[in-house]
Amino acid sequence: MDVQRLQESFARMAMHGDAVPLFFYSDLFLRRPETQDLFPVSMAAQRDRLVHALARVVSEVGHPDGLTGYLQDLGREHRKFGAIAEYYPAVGASLLATLAHFNGPSWTPDLAADWKAAYELVAQIMIDAAAEDAGRGPACWEATVIAHELRRFDIATFRVAITEPMPYLPGQSVSVEAPERPRIWRFYSMANAPRDDLTMDFHVRMIDGGAVSIVLTRGLAVGSRLKMGAPVGSLTYQPGTGRDVLLVAGSTGLAPLKAIAEQISWQPDPPRVQLLFGARTADGLYDLADLEKMAAGCPWLTVVPAVSDDPGFPGERGMLHEVLARSGSWREHDVYASGPTAMVEATIHQLTALGVPQAQIHVEDFGWSEP
Amino acid sequence: MTVTSRSGERLTPDQVRSISFPQARFGHRGYDEQHVLAFCALVERELVTLLNEKASLWEEVQRLRRRIIDSGDASGVGPEDAHVQAVRILSNAQQMADRYVADAQQYSRQITEEARRHRDEVLAEAKTHAGRVLDEAHSRASHAADVLTAEQGAAPNGEWRDRTAELAYLRTFSEVYRTHLRAYLETLLSNVEDWEQSEKSSLTAARAELPFPFPSVSPPPSPAQGSPAQGPPPPAAGQPSSPYSSPPSYTSPPSYPSPSPARLP
Repeated sequence: MDVQRLQESFARMAMHGDAVPLFFYSDLFLRRPETQDLFPVSMAAQRDRLVHALARVVSEVGHPDGLTGYLQDLGREHRKFGAIAEYYPAVGASLLATLAHFNGPSWTPDLAADWKAAYELVAQIMIDAAAEDAGRGPACWEATVIAHELRRFDIATFRVAITEPMPYLPGQSVSVEAPERPRIWRFYSMANAPRDDLTMDFHVRMIDGGAVSIVLTRGLAVGSRLKMGAPVGSLTYQPGTGRDVLLVAGSTGLAPLKAIAEQISWQPDPPRVQLLFGARTADGLYDLADLEKMAAGCPWLTVVPAVSDDPGFPGERGMLHEVLARSGSWREHDVYASGPTAMVEATIHQLTALGVPQAQIHVEDFGWSEP
Repeated sequence: MTVTSRSGERLTPDQVRSISFPQARFGHRGYDEQHVLAFCALVERELVTLLNEKASLWEEVQRLRRRIIDSGDASGVGPEDAHVQAVRILSNAQQMADRYVADAQQYSRQITEEARRHRDEVLAEAKTHAGRVLDEAHSRASHAADVLTAEQGAAPNGEWRDRTAELAYLRTFSEVYRTHLRAYLETLLSNVEDWEQSEKSSLTAARAELPFPFPSVSPPPSPAQGSPAQGPPPPAAGQPSSPYSSPPSYTSPPSYPSPSPARLP
């Protein structure tokens, strides 16, 4: 397999931008019309994802070690979409047709053979990972909403019950699909450590114009059904460091950190934990009452609410990174932060400036900005 | 220049070079967000148009190229060509669907942003109004108490006099407060109705209606705070009942079932 030739032909195709994935999916849907049912109505985001995944595979094709893990994750992740091994050959055929189309006269039988071999390798890794995963758990979990509470007009918390156990680590998240928005999946973090009764809590904030978040904040009721994919995410608690813990939560970024705090509470000798919970206004501290109740039973836990846009707020005022900068040095702490992109970035920046080693900073970027 | 994003109007490199944004309003850093976002939308639209044009030009080149190659033999449209044409037709349909979804999302975003802004304005106004009502109630109640004290100036029992004055104060205070509260609630209610009407007429699509954020109003201060010498009572800042910190609730919020074995000590 000539890696350089492979990469060159990919680059020739990638020049054509969005026309490439557009061609690919149209070709696939014509080849196997039933595959269209696996995708949402709007394919714009899906096309970007395909291009990113392809680009990553092609650029790393010479270093299979890192790639294998990525492809295995991808294969497992595709189980919940209903992507079965049977569709892989059609996908390969469409990929080759797309490459041929955009490479024009420079497409040769040799090149086609190389691509075919490369695709089969990739597909096999994904299929194997999915098959192996199928022995461990379901492709997706059916969840029923058993409580839903609108805490502010755009922030809700809800609890679901699942029927099959889902082993996950506190801090992890699952992708969620609502029946009102078929085949659109969004990641949400569990706000509790695993429970024996198979219930899980989620915190949702409505994103302006967001397809799924509006359904989860305002469209759910007790009895609503949701689908959930396998748990993912690396913002998980590292016990046994001997250091105290700082949790920095912006808005609904609180969810994974609340789960981590709960996990810490199970330890026989928990470290001291300071939880900074920030929002723009006081009504954004949607879960403060619950946190304070929790802190009342845990002498090692301190909850510090902070508000940035209300000069009349009686507690800490300012952005979270400003508040943490004036309330300690944190050099001897393990820090876990999650929330809006800007907040997470500012927190990392501030902690680094304060001399907290990178290895002690764990973050999750929720990928949205606070309106 | 000001940013406009009328569809059909093309963005020129010169416009990009000479763009200037107004500063954000007081208390916010950087440029005015709305202007920047509007400009980004304009740039995005232009990019999409350019890319689409590029793609269709490229298709045209391919088509012409094939025609030159095929011009040797006399056969009509080959199966390969037919497939590529089908792909093109499906791709166009897909792009149309994408556009519709994107437009719907954009519309929903605008409506939500507007509602959010409206809510913030109403809450800010309610807060100011609540402060004014409390001030007025206090000053009128103090006056009533003073008048009473002056009338009974010669009364022998000091405690009796104080109690009566306090009673007069509270009576006037709550009366003024009630009057304001009633007027205010009526205004709010009519606002809700106006809004509902305008939303109904502009929104044909079925969509969960946003209830108007309904601030609860703080109760009158306790008698201890109402002593005339202390000035106006504080507008209950930071208390859970302050008008801006209470979430709207029309129905009693569902409570969670009792927590299962979360092993909290």
